[in-house]
Amino acid sequence: MRRPRPGRFALGVTIVAVPLVLALLGPVFAGEPGPRAASFTSGDGHWLGTDFVGRDVWRLVLHGGRPVVLTALAATALACLVALPVGLAAALTRHRWLEELLMRPLDVLLAVPSLLLVLLAATVYSPGPAGLVLLVAAANVPDAARLVRAAAAEAVTRPAVEALRLQGETRWRIAVGHVGRSLSRTLAADAGTRLTGVLYLVATAAFLGVGVAPDAADWAVMVDRNRAGLFVQPWAVVVPALLIVALTTGTNLLFDAALDEGRDGGRGAAGLPAGPGGPGGTVPHHTQKGVHP
Amino acid sequence: MSGLRSFVARRLLLGVLQTAAVVLLVFALTEALPGDAAVALAGDQPDPERVEAVREAMRLDRPAGERLADWAAGLLHGDLGTSLVSGRPVSRYLADGFGPTLLLAALTVVLLVPAGFGLGVLAARHAGRPADRLISSVTLAVYAVPEFALGVLLVTVLSLRLGWLPPTAVGHGTELLAHPAVLVLPVLVLLSRPVCSLARMVRAGMIDALASPYAAQARRYGVSGARVRYAHALPNALAPAAQQLARTVDWLLSGVIVVEALYAVPGLGTVLLGAVAERDVPVVQGLAVVFGVLTVVLNLGADLVAHRFAPRAGVAA
Repeated sequence: MRRPRPGRFALGVTIVAVPLVLALLGPVFAGEPGPRAASFTSGDGHWLGTDFVGRDVWRLVLHGGRPVVLTALAATALACLVALPVGLAAALTRHRWLEELLMRPLDVLLAVPSLLLVLLAATVYSPGPAGLVLLVAAANVPDAARLVRAAAAEAVTRPAVEALRLQGETRWRIAVGHVGRSLSRTLAADAGTRLTGVLYLVATAAFLGVGVAPDAADWAVMVDRNRAGLFVQPWAVVVPALLIVALTTGTNLLFDAALDEGRDGGRGAAGLPAGPGGPGGTVPHHTQKGVHP
Repeated sequence: MSGLRSFVARRLLLGVLQTAAVVLLVFALTEALPGDAAVALAGDQPDPERVEAVREAMRLDRPAGERLADWAAGLLHGDLGTSLVSGRPVSRYLADGFGPTLLLAALTVVLLVPAGFGLGVLAARHAGRPADRLISSVTLAVYAVPEFALGVLLVTVLSLRLGWLPPTAVGHGTELLAHPAVLVLPVLVLLSRPVCSLARMVRAGMIDALASPYAAQARRYGVSGARVRYAHALPNALAPAAQQLARTVDWLLSGVIVVEALYAVPGLGTVLLGAVAERDVPVVQGLAVVFGVLTVVLNLGADLVAHRFAPRAGVAA
């Protein structure tokens, strides 16, 4: 099960490279907008044709990746930043009530489908890009915090932590210095899988018109708005759709391959983390002594 | 047995709390957040008359707690309120959109279970060999793709280039069953993500179970490979898979919304998007409560099933 898969890693990098480079460097090379032509034409100096209001599709493609990628990265980072202290505090606290107070509301929030949350908020407020980041991050916090808590609860019961405690290290140093550090791999893995889900949600929300202007240069918006001309000028839809497929697929393949190499158990990344009573949480008795330096 | 009973009781209590939380959250997100909801709801050019009408219809002059109590009491009696835009009861909206959505969801689930389990078992049987690697890579790749991107690409190829299938369900109203061809693309797209996650879950569960000591012991006793696989390993892969199946309801829901928008299917997703666009709060609230409660109930059912199959595994609520 631990066989590294360099092939899959390379495949992921190759697939994700095209949309990622376009998204990050595209705007630099896009140049000034030309005069508007007729809607849904092809040729005539526009090598991918024009869109529903007569703009050059290639130029929009160059501009349209950045919002998708940046929104997804920001939302993932924000979700992790919120989930980390909440999950750590819940795992490390001595007070049962604090743990319940932190985790129970999140358990309850997990019941709400994420797209529904986004659409609900979009009914009353018109969220801009920043609002979309907040919404997508909020939809991801419950799950991320639960994962952090489960992983930290497991790390806390390890012999090394027991030894640190016997040495009289402060709780703060144990939390940050040891538990935090031993969590870093789990967290990186989770951030990777989470990014895939966030990309999905960000693109889908933009496709449904949440958090974006109706004529925004955004791959998902382009797919939605240019569907009307699919029969006349398919490139305005197919190119951004393919780029989104490449971006999401490539990200997922890449992180899965990276995780596979760093993974030390048989547990899949998609598997639910074992709770404190699970197989990871038992401490052999003999470890209580003999770890003194 | 008291352990089982207390687990069921605790899980049911969580379900009730989750339902209450869904209702609260829906209300809070749409009505109780700071700012004048009436102005926000009146649209981009709020003229005073419209603002006043909205305020009147939603009784925004009364305190939020009182409105919440009224609304929740109505929900308990099956009264979901009336639309701000058309004045029709919200339950009529639900009734109109229910048929097509139920048809899509039912078809998807009916196909999802054999497809997901079949692929998962096939991959686990050939673990490490080309068939497994192909299935694993494809499921991993497709799993991440948003439905709308896959959907338009399929339309472009299957409808536009090859002309095999109709590109949308326009013109068929709610009589979708009479035209099965229009259902192929929506169901295919809806299936894409859940099949992948289910197949991966079943594969991982079976491989884990086949590598376990009891499977080795069964083999030592001379139990046939097929019997170990299907009578011993598969049930153990079932618990996580049942939970995954319920979690995919979350995806099916967002999938249904996207797919209905994409293929112009007049179901609940289309109703929801229309209501969001028109800022028709009561309709959005009603639909959100129905969707949210459905998710809670299905997750509850899945956790109970999972507990039945693998009582020792810590079941995530």
